[in-house]
Amino acid sequence: MTQGHRLRLLVVDDEVQIRRLLRLALETAGYDVYEADGGQLGLSEAAGVHPDGIVLDLGLPDLDGREVLRRLREWSQVPVLVLTVRNSEDDKIGALDAGADDYLTKPFSGRELLARLRAILRRAQPAAEETLVQLGDVEIDLSARLVRRAGAEVKLTAKEYDLLRYLAQHRGRVVTHQQILRELWGANAEDNTHYLRVYMTHLRQKLEADPRAPRLLKTESGVGYRLIEPA
Amino acid sequence: MSDAHTALDAPSAAPGRWREYALSAVAVAAVTAACLLLPDSYYLSVGLIYLLAVILLCLRVGRGPVLLAGVLSACIWEYVFIPPHFSFAINSLQDSLLFGTYFVVSLVAGQLIARIRAQAETERLREQRATALFHLTRALAEAKTLDEAVFAALRQVDGLFGAQTSLALAGEPGARLVPHFSSSYVLEGADLAAAEWVFHHHRSAGRFATNRPDGTGYYLPLVREDQAIGVLGVKMPPDAALSFSQRDLLDAFARQLALSVEREHLRAASEREKLLLESEKLHRALFDSVSHELRTPLAVINASTENIAEGNEHLRAELLNEIRTAVRRLNRMVENLLGQNRLESGLLKARLDWCDAVDIINAAVESTRDALDGHRLQIVVPDDMPPVRADFALTEHVLANLLLNAAHHTPPGTPVILTAGVEAGDRRVFFQVADHGPGFSPAARERLFKKFARDDTVRSTGLGLGLSIVRGFVAAQGGEVVAGDNPGGGARIAVYLPHSPPKAGALP
Repeated sequence: MTQGHRLRLLVVDDEVQIRRLLRLALETAGYDVYEADGGQLGLSEAAGVHPDGIVLDLGLPDLDGREVLRRLREWSQVPVLVLTVRNSEDDKIGALDAGADDYLTKPFSGRELLARLRAILRRAQPAAEETLVQLGDVEIDLSARLVRRAGAEVKLTAKEYDLLRYLAQHRGRVVTHQQILRELWGANAEDNTHYLRVYMTHLRQKLEADPRAPRLLKTESGVGYRLIEPA
Repeated sequence: MSDAHTALDAPSAAPGRWREYALSAVAVAAVTAACLLLPDSYYLSVGLIYLLAVILLCLRVGRGPVLLAGVLSACIWEYVFIPPHFSFAINSLQDSLLFGTYFVVSLVAGQLIARIRAQAETERLREQRATALFHLTRALAEAKTLDEAVFAALRQVDGLFGAQTSLALAGEPGARLVPHFSSSYVLEGADLAAAEWVFHHHRSAGRFATNRPDGTGYYLPLVREDQAIGVLGVKMPPDAALSFSQRDLLDAFARQLALSVEREHLRAASEREKLLLESEKLHRALFDSVSHELRTPLAVINASTENIAEGNEHLRAELLNEIRTAVRRLNRMVENLLGQNRLESGLLKARLDWCDAVDIINAAVESTRDALDGHRLQIVVPDDMPPVRADFALTEHVLANLLLNAAHHTPPGTPVILTAGVEAGDRRVFFQVADHGPGFSPAARERLFKKFARDDTVRSTGLGLGLSIVRGFVAAQGGEVVAGDNPGGGARIAVYLPHSPPKAGALP
């Protein structure tokens, strides 16, 4: 977190109890919280308050959450965390495609909420030249393209390293299969998710204590992967 | 069936009758001409020849023409052949007796033979009628749907009467008449009016009838228990007549058709009744289990929150844990209800993608961790398990439900074994959950995959939606669920999904 001023968050949700709960959790965590109970109001608040991040419910009565996202993205790149009750992968992917940075399915835990928010807010921070990423006992040296686990160097193929680097740069956030495939292999590789499975299995075997029960490289059901930052 | 389709004879058409009289006259004339060639003294034989001709005529013509032939031949014989020739006088007593006997014999023979013929004719008609009705009944019985039956019946009438037929039915008693699609002509104008009249008055009308004779067709009501349920119309060629027996046959047809239609109505009604009853029963079951299943965790949460303020640190942690468990349970229940709803709405579409079997298993285990607490969970996945083409979320839900099921139906401390692998032959992958509990009772296995089915012989919780969702979600992915006994005792449910190894080769 930056010192000096408190980060401002805008919560857009029509349920007053959810807003109250979020305010409680977020203010305790040191954020300034603004509220809107609908999509229209949310958009105008976003323009007026210029929040550092937005928590947006997808099921709004006046305006579909995805439409809010689309209109917001026309003029703002503010990080957005989407809340959804719909446990449907299509909805999640749709929201991510429409410009959401991450999602959280209701019911969610406060800890998860804060972790996701931290991850997406970091994206908006002016990127400090980051050369070393420390994830538990795994260390990634971005300048030297080296990966160490418990101090010992881990041999990765070029693609495995690219995959790990991409996930590390988005650590804490969900990345969809399509995003990874586009980034690593180009736009016409988007159907080849089974290659991704193979690379992911290799990465887990090299980096996880128990590849069968990964703690670092998590799978997001039907959506993609998430590299977890150990607390 | 072709024999039933030959047109019924119209036995008493007027032009045929005159031809028969002419035939009789010509036959008598021919015999007379032939006999004139015989010597005069053969006049007794001539009488026998005339008798033979009359009897032969009996085989071909009706009673009237036979009578004509008898009288005509007697007169000619007497006038021309019996001496004195060309006079009606008779010389001897013997000739008088001969002539009298001839006259009586020819008349009686004609009568007898005509009666036999009439009987044979009636017999033939009756047989034809019976055959036609038999074919109709068989066609109606063989038809799988009412439409099929009606179609078969109308085509039969078409064939039998050389006519066009139309049928209009009232969807239910009292409703308006709607033409049936298998009619071979359209009801309109005077015909439609006649049909409507028949429908309302339950009496036949139209051509050949006393009521509303202005139509071109003949109309009969289909009546069941004083309710008209439709109208059968027959349009015969303009020069055709409708005999009494044909009318009778049509009546029989209409009765049979009415019976079929009514049976269909009754069947539909009882089907509706059954569906209604079934859905009511389901609703009650849903309400019972939902109210029970929702109230239990809510009660836990309620009681916990009340006590949480007063408790000490240890108690507070315990209560929080209880609340968390209750919330997870509620959440799972809502998931299952939504899942069932997705299945029933028909909106469920599997999003197949390459998945890591271990990933799916991990996700399922993660979401059921609290319920599995107290059971020893063993996960067996071969090291070379290939990527599985499946819908990740659906399969996760399926495995979670299977794990929950095993946890709920087995004593604490017993193992639950989750196995995955590729079936021999590389055609299918499987996920299997086995336990060492009591297994399935035969009664339970019957209704295992039914909605809201719970095994009442064992203590159980849950909405009873679990396995119904398992089957639905697996079917949506083109797979199959098999339930059976675990060889070592207990239950075993296996999920099979279609498998094809991914294309070989690597991305650049």
